[in-house]
Amino acid sequence: MNEPLLSVRGLSKTFGSLRALDGVDLEVRRGALTGLIGPNGAGKSTAFSCIAGATKPTSGEIIYDGGSIAGMSYPAVAALGVARTYQIVQTFADMTVREATTVGALLRSRSVREASAKADAVLAFVGLARKRHMLGSALTIADKKRLEVARALATEPKLLLLDEVMAGLTPTEAREAVDLLRRILASGVTILMVEHVMEVLMPLAQHVVVIGAGKTIFAGSPTAAVRDPRVIDAYLGGSAPAATS
Amino acid sequence: MRRSLAVLCGVVGALGVAAFVVRDTLVLDLLFSLLLFAVLGQSWNWISGYAGQISFSHAIFYGCGAYAAALATDAWHISPWLAFPIGALAAAALALAIGFPTLALRGHYFSIATIAIGALVDVFVRNSHWLGGANGFELPIATGFASLQFVDKTPYVLIALALFALTQWLTIALEHSKLGYYLRALRANHAAAASVGIVERRWKLIAFCGSAALASAAGVLYAQYTLYVDPGTIALSTSIDIALIGVVGGLGTIWGPPVGALIYVVLSKFVALELGGSGKGYDLVIYGLLIVVIATLQPRGIAGSIVDALRRRRARESAA
Repeated sequence: MNEPLLSVRGLSKTFGSLRALDGVDLEVRRGALTGLIGPNGAGKSTAFSCIAGATKPTSGEIIYDGGSIAGMSYPAVAALGVARTYQIVQTFADMTVREATTVGALLRSRSVREASAKADAVLAFVGLARKRHMLGSALTIADKKRLEVARALATEPKLLLLDEVMAGLTPTEAREAVDLLRRILASGVTILMVEHVMEVLMPLAQHVVVIGAGKTIFAGSPTAAVRDPRVIDAYLGGSAPAATS
Repeated sequence: MRRSLAVLCGVVGALGVAAFVVRDTLVLDLLFSLLLFAVLGQSWNWISGYAGQISFSHAIFYGCGAYAAALATDAWHISPWLAFPIGALAAAALALAIGFPTLALRGHYFSIATIAIGALVDVFVRNSHWLGGANGFELPIATGFASLQFVDKTPYVLIALALFALTQWLTIALEHSKLGYYLRALRANHAAAASVGIVERRWKLIAFCGSAALASAAGVLYAQYTLYVDPGTIALSTSIDIALIGVVGGLGTIWGPPVGALIYVVLSKFVALELGGSGKGYDLVIYGLLIVVIATLQPRGIAGSIVDALRRRRARESAA
């Protein structure tokens, strides 16, 4: 199984006259964490939406697990084993933590009882077990992000798409999140993680893809990325990534 | 779930005893209306409460049952009991036809669409000779269990009670089913729901068809009780009454619609009678005030507020 789990070629997306994506290429290797980075407005979230099925790409190829998923509906992509979290958390406001996670688990469960049991296991895994009867809307921002990860993991994905899960976390919370991501990787789930800040990815990613102005401008190791002149150039005048790493 | 079923058994048992003990026809009439509107409010609650698609044309599904009963007895000369499956199928088919294009609409747009559809159906019925046109039907008198007509009111109350029990039981099952979880997820956040593989249209259509079929069953009973069906049965005002029962009681709760129906029936029948002919319209004033008070102080409805309070307590206990 050397072929990548996800392979994107020439992905483009235009909104009216705005060219949000203009030929993005990226590969996500099985069992690893790949980082997708780039400055604000580079098109990370749009690329992410296209892969998850939330947005239909204008052109380009998205090959996931040997089949094309470009233009497939959002639920259909989820059914194939792609789960995502949102940059701005999207909770089921009037559901408890356990109910919201159960909704995710129902995708591959025959009964609610089975799904609830899976949800409990996932909540224990992400460290939300004690808060399972709280309403999702009553959680702290860090716990809401944890709940997003729990809901996504409950669908038993092969590929987990994380959209800036670290943003807004305190250093302690961020350390816990890094630990959680390592455990998710160890469980065999492949991760594609969008990040704005490079240093978050440094200890986690074996491979990073840098997007600038809707195009892939670099693909390689994180340490090579911070030294790459194109990357430095994309991050405003060449100082930002070095300063944050 | 066990606790909800226990409460249901208690309520149904108490009402069953009441139906035998009470001999006052006025009270029995009140009880029948209460059960009928509880069923209607609950069926509306499926699509509008749990699925979050506020409908203002629910009376047309009620009408499917009422007209099925009228046609069965008056035109086709078959057992009115057959009106239950016929009405349910007609209502579910109508819900499918209406829901397929409109359930993609969210918020006010769906509500507006249902008002338009209700008006369309009204015009259609008024101009359909086979549906009795504007005059409607008077059902032929034939008493007895086989013809679902009784001189006494008690059997009506008991049959309505059975329908109510079935509706409540189905709703409890719904809350604990995949459908119930998916509807609540879709109502809360359709994008997040799609991201975990929920196909919005499929699940909402299932809820809409079930909701319509239940409402039609209430319609059959109504027709057999009043022995009269006309386009007024499916009027917009009936649809609004059904919606208000659901809102006042509490959207997306098991006991909201029965509580809402109780308030509605007591106010509309009892107050109107107590105040006599001169008091005509006062019930509406009181009801209107009540809606304003609930909308301001308890937007989740009466049962909704209780559910929230219980949840908060449970969360506190598990966190402590």
